[in-house]
Amino acid sequence: MASYPSLNFNLGETADLLRDTVADFAAAELAPRAADIDRDNEFPADMWRKMGDLGLLGITVSDEYGGADMGYLEHVIAMEELSRASASVALSYGAHSNLCVNQIFRNGTEEQKSKYLPKLVSGEHVGALAMSEPGAGSDVVSMRLNAQKKGSHYILNGTKMWITNGPDANVLVVYAKTDPEAGHRGISAFLIEKGMPGFSTAQKLDKLGMRGSNTCELVFENCEVPAENLLGAEGRGVNVLMSGLDYERSVLSGGPLGIMQACMDVVVPFIHERKQFGQSIGTFQLMQGKIADMYSTMNAAKAYVYAVAMACDRGETARKDAAGAILYSAEKATWMALEAIQTLGGVGYTNEYPTGRFLRDAKLYEIGAGTSEIRRMLIGRELFNESAP
Amino acid sequence: MKILVCIKQVPDMESKFKINAEGTWYDGIDLAWRMNEYDEYAVEQAVQLKEQVAGSDLTVLCIGRQQVQETMKKALAIGCDRGVHVADENSHQKDPFEIASVIAEFASDKGFDLIFTGMQSQDRGSAQVGVLIAEMLGMPSISTIVDFAFADGQISAKRELEGGIKALVKTTAPALVTCQLGLNTPRYPTLPNIMKAKKKELLSVEVADLLKVEAKQETAKIYFPEKKGGGLVLEGEVADLADQLIQILKDKTAVLA
Repeated sequence: MASYPSLNFNLGETADLLRDTVADFAAAELAPRAADIDRDNEFPADMWRKMGDLGLLGITVSDEYGGADMGYLEHVIAMEELSRASASVALSYGAHSNLCVNQIFRNGTEEQKSKYLPKLVSGEHVGALAMSEPGAGSDVVSMRLNAQKKGSHYILNGTKMWITNGPDANVLVVYAKTDPEAGHRGISAFLIEKGMPGFSTAQKLDKLGMRGSNTCELVFENCEVPAENLLGAEGRGVNVLMSGLDYERSVLSGGPLGIMQACMDVVVPFIHERKQFGQSIGTFQLMQGKIADMYSTMNAAKAYVYAVAMACDRGETARKDAAGAILYSAEKATWMALEAIQTLGGVGYTNEYPTGRFLRDAKLYEIGAGTSEIRRMLIGRELFNESAP
Repeated sequence: MKILVCIKQVPDMESKFKINAEGTWYDGIDLAWRMNEYDEYAVEQAVQLKEQVAGSDLTVLCIGRQQVQETMKKALAIGCDRGVHVADENSHQKDPFEIASVIAEFASDKGFDLIFTGMQSQDRGSAQVGVLIAEMLGMPSISTIVDFAFADGQISAKRELEGGIKALVKTTAPALVTCQLGLNTPRYPTLPNIMKAKKKELLSVEVADLLKVEAKQETAKIYFPEKKGGGLVLEGEVADLADQLIQILKDKTAVLA
């Protein structure tokens, strides 16, 4: 099939060169393994070094820690192109590079950054972030993981749930209550290392999609954490958490974009190859209408997501739009995967084609990093409060 | 050691090509552009040589419109030290002799020890530019290399010949080599190097300052070959098929006459 011209979003020379590089890398190294990673539910550990060598893992980190010193727009594009090849590996990449690495870079002390970032950036270590608990999802402030100060240590007790990269992580940013009575002011962030006494991971979860991006429960039983592993000030964890969430939502929005592009990558050649009534199904108006809706929806999502990422790079507050970008792109990616299956018909419903994987992977983005419901609540509440007379 | 690598920006070969209004080249509108594949091998080999010989300086040269600087940035991100953009809105109308002479004119007083080019461009495909540059500069050239080694001023290159035969060719620097598929695996430009490339020197030179010759050939016309009629698929039982085939051979050919 001939390639077709796509809209030039005019994102700049650096962004374009980055996209070409990541797209070439993902097509050669990742895409051929995506189906196996999904079927076997196995995290491809060897990819981490390769991504580190390319400079993907510390994309927003300054060069003194081995990073690439790029912005959130570039991070979105990297996320998009990796997701186009394998959404699950890209999700692990997002959790590592943004939720863990970028949080340490933004909030860590000089000592913490020098100690943890180089190995996370090179790919020697895998990173994760732990916020949710069995009883604290959207209502994150109700978390119960307890951190009690004893001399030069904090003693952590409790569990965390749904932790992306949990089974593989060497370094984890973990939120806990240092003052259970103080509500959101009682939350602090900690840097936890694999192997700390009293810290363990429970069994890997068997998920619908995003298979190969390993997820598990974290268990803390009298886990002793040195006081110097406090990330940010005690009791100010909610600031770390909430500001980080805006960037997290912005960067992760690249995930649904990549899945949408992957849908187009399958559907466009298919409507040429598949013949019915003696002609390509792409000659039928109902099919043309379908790909028109898919293409324009994908580009609308791209325009919104890129604009929000650029606002983040300018340092502007983009809280409701970061939530809006991932709300819109996530729901449209799920819709688009369903449209892709419908376009393919019977074969789209088999595992011979990747469209089923696209659907299972896309659904995660309506749940992870905040559900669609909490995103709508946040956007609507902000709009109402900001417009109050 | 001074090294030059010459690259060209070409359309993505998956593009749907249209002939331009003059009928002498393809229409450049709505195409995605990238580095000529053979030039990617040339850049990779040039960077490897630069890494091998301490203190080397590697220049990348490209002729064309402003947009070719995007492709040059990739070469700079892969490891070239500086870029020279020969600004030319009409490079697609120049013949290989003119292109080679522009590059030779630029290189003539620079004292390059080694020049790398692709063995041909994916769009024009003349495979003349590299060897013409060498001739104009009075240096030996080894074409279509699939292996390259350099030691003590000596170049040892392997060329791939027909029938699975390879030839080992040796020469002394200064020299030029044209690079073929299989020479190496081009590296990806790393993200930190993409950022560093933004700060590298990228000099722009007008083509008029370097073009001192006239074309020796012109492309009169380019066109798509006429479409041949589709094949005929016979369906049915074997016996019927044989009968149908015999009838067709009798009607339309002379083989059973």
